[in-house]
Amino acid sequence: MKTILAFREEEFAWSHEVFSCLHPLLLPLCNKPFIEFLIDFAILTGSTAVRILCDGGINPIERYCENGSRWGIALSYGSLHADDSAQILLGKNRKFCGEERIMIVSGFSFIRYDKRLDYKSLASSLPEGEWAACPGGSITLSGAPEKPPADGAAAPLSLMPLDGMASYYRASMEALETGADRYVLPGYGGEPGCAIGRNVVISKSAQIRKPVSIGNNVQLLGDTIIGPSAIIGSNVIIDRESSVESSIVLDNTYIGEHLEVNGRIASGNRLNDPRSGASISMEDPHLLGSIKKSQTLSALPRKVAHALAALVMIAVLAVPFLFLWPLLKLGGRWRSAQIDCHSENPGETISLGKVELDATNALGAIASTLSLDHYFRLFRVLTAELALIGSTPLPAEAQHPNAPANALAYRPGVFSYAEAEQWPATGDDAAIVERYHLVHSGPISDIGLVVKAFVNRPHEKSSA
Amino acid sequence: MSSIITLTLPGDPLFTEVARQTTTSVASLLTGENHSASDETQFVHDFELAVSEAFTNSVKYAGEHDTPPTVTLSFELEKRRLTVSLLDANGPFSIETPAPDIESYPENGYGLWIIRKVMDSVTYRREGNSNIISMSKTL
Amino acid sequence: MIITETSANGIVIVALEGNLDALSAPKLRGSPPVADPKTAIVLDLEKVDFMDSSGLGAIVGAAREKDDPACGIVLSCMNDKVRRTFETTNAQRLFHIFDDTAAAVDFAATRQIART
Repeated sequence: MKTILAFREEEFAWSHEVFSCLHPLLLPLCNKPFIEFLIDFAILTGSTAVRILCDGGINPIERYCENGSRWGIALSYGSLHADDSAQILLGKNRKFCGEERIMIVSGFSFIRYDKRLDYKSLASSLPEGEWAACPGGSITLSGAPEKPPADGAAAPLSLMPLDGMASYYRASMEALETGADRYVLPGYGGEPGCAIGRNVVISKSAQIRKPVSIGNNVQLLGDTIIGPSAIIGSNVIIDRESSVESSIVLDNTYIGEHLEVNGRIASGNRLNDPRSGASISMEDPHLLGSIKKSQTLSALPRKVAHALAALVMIAVLAVPFLFLWPLLKLGGRWRSAQIDCHSENPGETISLGKVELDATNALGAIASTLSLDHYFRLFRVLTAELALIGSTPLPAEAQHPNAPANALAYRPGVFSYAEAEQWPATGDDAAIVERYHLVHSGPISDIGLVVKAFVNRPHEKSSA
Repeated sequence: MSSIITLTLPGDPLFTEVARQTTTSVASLLTGENHSASDETQFVHDFELAVSEAFTNSVKYAGEHDTPPTVTLSFELEKRRLTVSLLDANGPFSIETPAPDIESYPENGYGLWIIRKVMDSVTYRREGNSNIISMSKTL
Repeated sequence: MIITETSANGIVIVALEGNLDALSAPKLRGSPPVADPKTAIVLDLEKVDFMDSSGLGAIVGAAREKDDPACGIVLSCMNDKVRRTFETTNAQRLFHIFDDTAAAVDFAATRQIART
């Protein structure tokens, strides 16, 4: 038994509009990418190999699923034309199919199945032809049955087309409510209806109401109410006194304070209403409000505090700097370049020196421990071009999802909050921590975090 | 912590293969700890493709001067990042290219677009009479 | 690059071996069955290790010259590396791609009968 999964771009064109950063086949249903449900089902039917076909680009799928060894099957990829019939698909993949029975799952639809049932003997004994269908989707079998038909068991199987936000929402909620009984779902949970991922921090005063599914690296702050029927993705922060009910919060999303999210899909800074299909950019008043406040009222004390702390660091580090810098420079172990980075003000850039130290050398290692590569940047704090601690400066050239135009908060700093928290400095993960501190940190706690960053940076480097 | 390798080749399509093979050997030196074999394979292939495109372009637009044209490749290896720069003495060009309109079956004009698609960042600068295109990607 | 021509079921199979780049692309364009607008061919890419945009451009350009661009060149047996070059430019949309040369020949033959 082998399975062909066939998709046409037109079927999921809607998803590109709503969730632009994500390949539709990786759209999570209850924190599990869509394609994995189909792979699971293929495995349930006894398939040893699965081929994924699409008329558009599938590189993101390939990078995610790789060769299938994670599931113990062989995964391969190919292309099709939107008008190819099942017969032509079998021809185009003749070598893959070989002499085996083939199941073709066609269309962007959610398969309702139950992992406890025996689909393997059904799939091998049903007559050729259509097994299940819905508008825009079907499951067909081709090739002679491998076994005599089983005694008239009804196929406990149905398809639900994912043709828009509304059906995506319904399918997600259905997967959440039927829970881990019917599907293989991620997360740990001591009791049914509650699955929680790794590295989740739940405040003592947060309430969780079943059913919920929570991803990895999630922070639920004080007095939040999660559920019933909440799906929280990975790298999410739900800020104080906000509630999430009957809603989906996709990966890398920050829900600000005092927000009530009910019957919505939140993704990045967009809030979607699955019923009406309306979608707004979620510049939520509370989150924006606190950023505004920090820009006007608390900006001055912050800048003064940062400048004073920077002065102290400049003075303290002056001795080792003046000693080590000429030595490193002469030895060719101090290599610097200028890069343009986004400035705090949207649309403007600042030119920053980027220094690379050779830490294999003893002097270089000392310089690196003392963060001397950032020494020149400290002076930029005095001119208020940089904060002492803030976001990791983003190169202006790169089209980055966290670029200031997209991000909710960004303030380039000599040190970054991600460094202070020893957060792996990889893209979205780190950005969410930085956003959190940008909103919550005051001048005094900033100084504390600078010390943490200063201490943590060398560790991060040596372990990297 | 980075090492630099440079290689100057005659600007002739015959040497595209040499440029590619050098690139694949250098790119294979980078191995991530948390990366699967297929990530690494794709990383090597992306560089092979990008260098093939850039080298072909250099060779294509060479030949407007007396001395035999050359293309200098330099590879800058960091722990998880590789930057390959190509230097030639051709006329200036722009790396801004629109996506090819595939439905009209174009025969040319994919090169720079492919480079930008498979690399993390691509920069171009003019130094004196030379073009330098730098392509980098992190594993 | 080595180009081998065989035929089956009235369809010419052009098998390539080696690298399809700026050096070898003109050779492919110059091959008579590839250049002839009336001949529908199957291009067997099984032994093509590497292809860049020059090679891709040659295939796309040759298809454009065919009487029926969509079926004039049917592709078979490309490896993952070559497939990715197609997908980077979305050129896979222009072609029917098979993982088996015999199946590609069957397809090309049916299309040719349908047209005549």
